[in-house]
Amino acid sequence: MSLSDLVLSLADNKQMLGLRYAEWATRAPSLEADIAAAAMGLDDLGHSRVLYGCLEPLGEDPRTPNRESKPASIRNLAYFDEPWTEWSQFVAANAVLDTAFTVMIEACVGGSVEVLQHRLRKMLMEERYHFLHGRSWLRSGIDKAPLLRAWQEALELFGPPDGETESMHRDGTLSMGPAEMRARLEEQLETKAPDVTIHWEMWDPLRRRTAPGAIDEHTFGMLRGLEEKKYAPTTASKAAG
Amino acid sequence: MSKNGYKRVSGDAVEYEVFARKARVDPLHLVGSVVAPDADLAMAYARATYDEERWCEMAIVRKADVIRLWSPGEI
Repeated sequence: MSLSDLVLSLADNKQMLGLRYAEWATRAPSLEADIAAAAMGLDDLGHSRVLYGCLEPLGEDPRTPNRESKPASIRNLAYFDEPWTEWSQFVAANAVLDTAFTVMIEACVGGSVEVLQHRLRKMLMEERYHFLHGRSWLRSGIDKAPLLRAWQEALELFGPPDGETESMHRDGTLSMGPAEMRARLEEQLETKAPDVTIHWEMWDPLRRRTAPGAIDEHTFGMLRGLEEKKYAPTTASKAAG
Repeated sequence: MSKNGYKRVSGDAVEYEVFARKARVDPLHLVGSVVAPDADLAMAYARATYDEERWCEMAIVRKADVIRLWSPGEI
């Protein structure tokens, strides 16, 4: 796994987080929360574009043609595979996973790679408001199951204690390794990570997850623009053909 | 509460006034309001709702903390 692989994972996760946020833009508990869901969705979709844009200057773009046809080639956490059905799932993702992505971006900004130091810094300012939103809703109390799942997947995102993320920390590419990132997330959320068992032998280092599966067909179709084509006027498809 | 009895605030939620300005030389002015149970969430809502313009400063104040000398219709 290279630094580009890590950045692509962040980009894909930010894209999926943005889409899942946007799905709640008319379903959140209040008008303000609707607007916040839409705004955070736009932010994270924008962040994903910036992250994709870093792949070329990093010298290696790990995106393969598979991404056109195989949903499992998108490197998102399992948490984003399916649309969320409960507000608690939104809040757990907002508080724990969005903050975990921010912690990883902090590790990139604090590391030795210039393009990441410069391009990712602005994200940290925007993410402050995502964090305030997530932490406040988290304090109001949510179901335990999505929270536990979000923590588990955040720790899987950071990677195994002695894996390549730790190697990148040791050589200065990243300013934090898995242990430091976990501690930073705990500090931010003012709580200890719950006891979770992670089967690292099942962990996919590219997708940074242990669970099999992939995003749902509808979302994959939307990402590929296939859903859009479905609604195109027949004259347009004839002209295109 | 407005004259027709409509109240935006319910439960623990509090109404916050949102102020902003585009340049240092401008005064802060009222751009709107948000309703939230705490200041953290109010900040997130204010930024999400009123961030369309390029403000150089944004601030929120609890509406209840504003001391009014008089209001429309009183003089």
